[in-house]
Order: sequence, then C-alpha cells, then structure tokens
Amino acid sequence: MSAVELVRLALSRLRRGRVRAALTMLGVIIGVASVVGLVSVGRGTTARITQQLSSLGTNLLTINPARGSANTLTLDDAAAIAGLSGLAAVAPEIQTQRTVATSTTNTTTTSVVGTSADYATVRAFEVWQGTFLTPFAVDQGLRQVVLGATVATALGLGADAIGGQVNISGLPFQVIGILQPKGGAGSNDPDNQVLVPLGVVRKYYVGGTGVQSIGISVANATGMQAARDSISELLRVRHGLAAGATDDFSIFDQTQLLQAASSISGTLTLLLGGIASIALIVGGIGIMNIMLVSVRERTREIGIRKALGARGRDILSQFLIEALTLSLIGGLIGVLAGIVVSAIIGRIAGWGFIFDPATIAVATVFSLAVGIVFGVWPARQAARLDPVNALRYE
Amino acid sequence: MSLLRLDQIGRTYDMGHVQVEALHGVSMTVERGEMVAILGPSGSGKTTMMSIIGCLDRPTSGRYELDGTDVGSLNDAALARIRSRTIGFVFQSYNLLPGTSAMDNVATPLLYQGVSRRERQARAAAALEQLGLGHRLRHEPSELSGGEQQRVALARALVTKPALVLADEPTGNLALHQGQEVLALFQDLHAAGHTILLITHNPEVAAIAQRQVHLLDGAVVDAGIAA
Repeated sequence: MSAVELVRLALSRLRRGRVRAALTMLGVIIGVASVVGLVSVGRGTTARITQQLSSLGTNLLTINPARGSANTLTLDDAAAIAGLSGLAAVAPEIQTQRTVATSTTNTTTTSVVGTSADYATVRAFEVWQGTFLTPFAVDQGLRQVVLGATVATALGLGADAIGGQVNISGLPFQVIGILQPKGGAGSNDPDNQVLVPLGVVRKYYVGGTGVQSIGISVANATGMQAARDSISELLRVRHGLAAGATDDFSIFDQTQLLQAASSISGTLTLLLGGIASIALIVGGIGIMNIMLVSVRERTREIGIRKALGARGRDILSQFLIEALTLSLIGGLIGVLAGIVVSAIIGRIAGWGFIFDPATIAVATVFSLAVGIVFGVWPARQAARLDPVNALRYE
Repeated sequence: MSLLRLDQIGRTYDMGHVQVEALHGVSMTVERGEMVAILGPSGSGKTTMMSIIGCLDRPTSGRYELDGTDVGSLNDAALARIRSRTIGFVFQSYNLLPGTSAMDNVATPLLYQGVSRRERQARAAAALEQLGLGHRLRHEPSELSGGEQQRVALARALVTKPALVLADEPTGNLALHQGQEVLALFQDLHAAGHTILLITHNPEVAAIAQRQVHLLDGAVVDAGIAA
C-alpha cells in the first residue's frame, strides 16, 4: 500500500473519532507548544543580554590598575597605547563623586568623569541634544559638561538647557550636550554621570598623575586578542616589570562577559527545552495509550483486513501512520500555538517576537519521532494478531 | 488438476495442559467449478477446516494444496497473498468494516492488491451493481439490512475474481426469505462457473450444493458423490 493510501485511511479514521483524536493530540500540542514557547523565551533572554552588553561599548577593552596597586596607570600610558595600531579609540578616565547643581535649587550627587573626546566611541554613547566634548575642549581644559540622561532628568534640564550653566562642587560649567539614555538602574546606571574634559578634573578635583581606567575600542572584533597582547607588552615595558613579575594592571575584555552570559542563557534555553520535552514525551505516551486501546477495539477489523489479504506489514503501517498522523497534526498545531505564545511573551517581556525556523523544524521532527517511537509497539501488536482469533473476537 | 486437495489434514490446538484435536486425517478434493457443502454439527471442526482452507491457519499435519501450491510451506506474507488473490470470504456475521461505505468495503481487497483508487472504485461499484446494490454505494453497514449487508460481503468476496469462494454459514444470521435470496445468488454464481465451498450445519442450505461432505468430530464421515 502506498503512503498516500495509508494517510487517507488514517485521516478518515481520525475524522470518525474527532473528539478522541483531538484529546489524544492535546498532549503533543501542549508539549510542542511549550518547547517552541520556552525556547523562544530562552532566545529572547539571550538576545536581550547580548544587546545590553554590546550597548556598553563595541569591542571594548578596559584597563585598570591591578588589585592592590593603585595609581599605576597614567595619562602617558594612555597616550602610548593610543599610538598602537589596530585600535579605534582610547579614552582615559578619572572619576570623582560631586554635587551638581543648577542655578535654581535643584541638586544631585553623581559621578563626574574626566575623559577625552573618544569616550563617546569607546563607551557607545549617543548625544541626544547639543554636542559631545570636542578634542579642542579637552586640550584646552574648557569648563564644559555633557550630562547623562539620569542627571539631566534629576536636575529638570531638557533641550533648552544646552548653552546654560550648572555648578559642579561650586564651579560653573557650560552645558554643551545631553546623552541618550542607555537604560539600567541602581549603582549600574550608565546614565547617572556627567562628562567633563580630563584636564579639568585633574586641575580642580583630583590631583596626581594617575588615571582610574583606560577604555579602548578595538578596531575589529577579530583583533581583540592581538590588541590585548600588544597593550600588555607595552605596559609591562613602560612600568619596568621584570620577566617573572605579575602585571600591575588588568585588562578586562568585554567579550568574555558576553561569552559567559550567552553560555549561561544557552544552558537556560536547553534546560527549558528539556523540561518542555518531558511534556512532549507524556503526550507521546498518551498516543501510545490510545493506539493500544484502538488495537484492542479494532481486533475484529484487523482480522477482517487480514482475511481480505492484508499482510502483517500492511496492518503495521496502517496503525503506525495513524499514530504519526496524530502526532504530526498535534505537532503542527503545537507549533502554531507556540508561535502565538512566544509572540505574547515577547511582547510582554519587551524583546519582541523571535521567530526561529530551526526550533520549529526540531519540534516537528521531534513530534514525528514521538509518533514513531510510541506508535511502533501498538502497531506491532496489531500486525501480529492471529487472523483466526481476531475474526472471532467480539 | 483439482483446485483444492486436502491430504490427511490434522489440526491440534495446544491449550497448555491439554491438546485438543480439532481435525484428524481429513482428506478431500474440490474440482474447479464445483459447488461443495461441508456439513456438520457445531463442534465437528467446520470452522477449523474453513480457517485452514482459507489460509488463515496452518494444519499441524498433512498436506494442503491450493491451485497447485503447497500451502503448508508458505510464510505469513505468502499466505496473505493467497488470501488476497485466490480466496473470497463470506462470513456468517458479514464482517463488513464498520463506519465504511459499501463501496469502500468492497474496494478494500483491491487495496491490498495494489490496485489504483480509480480502478478500485470502478470495480467495486460494478460488483455492487451486479448484486443489485447500485443504489447503496454510499451507505454504511449500519444503514443496510442483513440481506443487503451479506450481498455487500458477497460483492467484496467476488471483486477480486477469486478462484475459490469460501462461505461460512452465509445465511446463519438472515431471515428466511433473505437467506433464500442469498442462496439463490450462490446458485447463480455457481452457474456462472465459480468454485464455491459452503460451510453449514443446515442440511437445507447444504442441499443447494452438488456434493455434501459430512464432517463429524473432526473427521470426514462421508465425502459425498457429485450429483
């Protein structure tokens, strides 16, 4: 018998027992829908983490003094690093907590970061209003300030504040720009800071020659390791470290964090998918249960078919195709339900609709496999029935 | 050559601690075009004999040849092929597939011969029309009378043009006049050249055959003489 004939036979059978077929499929539908839905939750989380991390800066390396060795990094180190090839931007940073006040009574305490014009590139900030610090302003040590979005909000400043004045620890600064918010909260809020030329911080607030960190944007992602190596070599020479001595600085690679985070969320996706596939297996057992009942109920039919010339394998394929049809239709409905569920979750969670054809292919193949695995046993039972006894079965 | 030859056929059922001998030493032949009745009371081994002749079961001893083939040496798939090509069954309780139209019931044996859907339907419709059921093609068994159901079963037995029609108490479940109609159909088929084996406990039914083989306690007591 051809596959088409078998599918036709299975469909006409399922049409006659619609309620039973629907209930049997329900297990597979729920299983497949949870696989599709939960995997998309996993992917959504991954996508969100990746996006948040890349908003910290593209190909970002951050150099800090090693733990316990403060002030080992200097402005000259930063200048020397800027001379290396393969780097897109280098921005030294000095940070200090200060009170920022408007001419009215609004005040807020925030971190004042002294840096260079490259800072916007290194840390991936966009200007919302006005301009960023210019190389000229940094060179000349002009008292200009760019406000983070949180600070601007706290001070009640909007677009019309550009060109106006704020006081930082009593010194007046000209507001030249307000940054786009990146989002984030608490102590990690990247928008809760103001940016001023590095020389200004050095001159008025923090003495000495050290910088707290140097941010570097590497020109392209494949050059990350090479950049680390050449920076490390340069700093060791500049700091006069002997061959066996440990570094007095540390280079932190953004991509390491990214990899760690995506491997965690990958594990999470696998875990969720695994839990959901338990539902799918339970659905498969439901199919097996119904097929076994069906073989018992249709013993006489099997006997008749054998008397009419059906071979064991005709009966086997008839019951197997019936189980497969159940699981495949259930699987397809489950995929649709899963897509709807993930669209709803995506909308609520805010990562939007993530459509992954691979998940759907996997879910479909999985539901077919469930049909085969849980359909074979009942089908073999049917095929092995002795025709004489089957015909006599009441 | 005879269509069917049974030689010292025995069939023993192994019931665990007891062996039940349903048939022993049964020998008979049926020629092509013959109509033979196998007559015997219940428990005489009629059903076992029909299962063996119909290739649904194998004898435990003896030799059975059907259409020149030694059936005893065949595997399950080959037996299924013989049932499909050579034998048409008619059962006492009709044994139609429930929830399936008369036409699809009649077409089912052709399905297992690998006949195309279009040809199956044409041949099934023709077979039903021949038995006066041309107006009942789309009816399911539950919508048909007993006589009509048995005629559908007969059409299903004939649609493959089998060498042997095997009927097990074909009138057993029918009212008198319906039974007579069915018997008349068997006589027509015989007249048209079909080989028919009629298994019954009823001497009146057996009387329509040329020859009666009497079965008692699993053995042939009278092989009958062709009338």
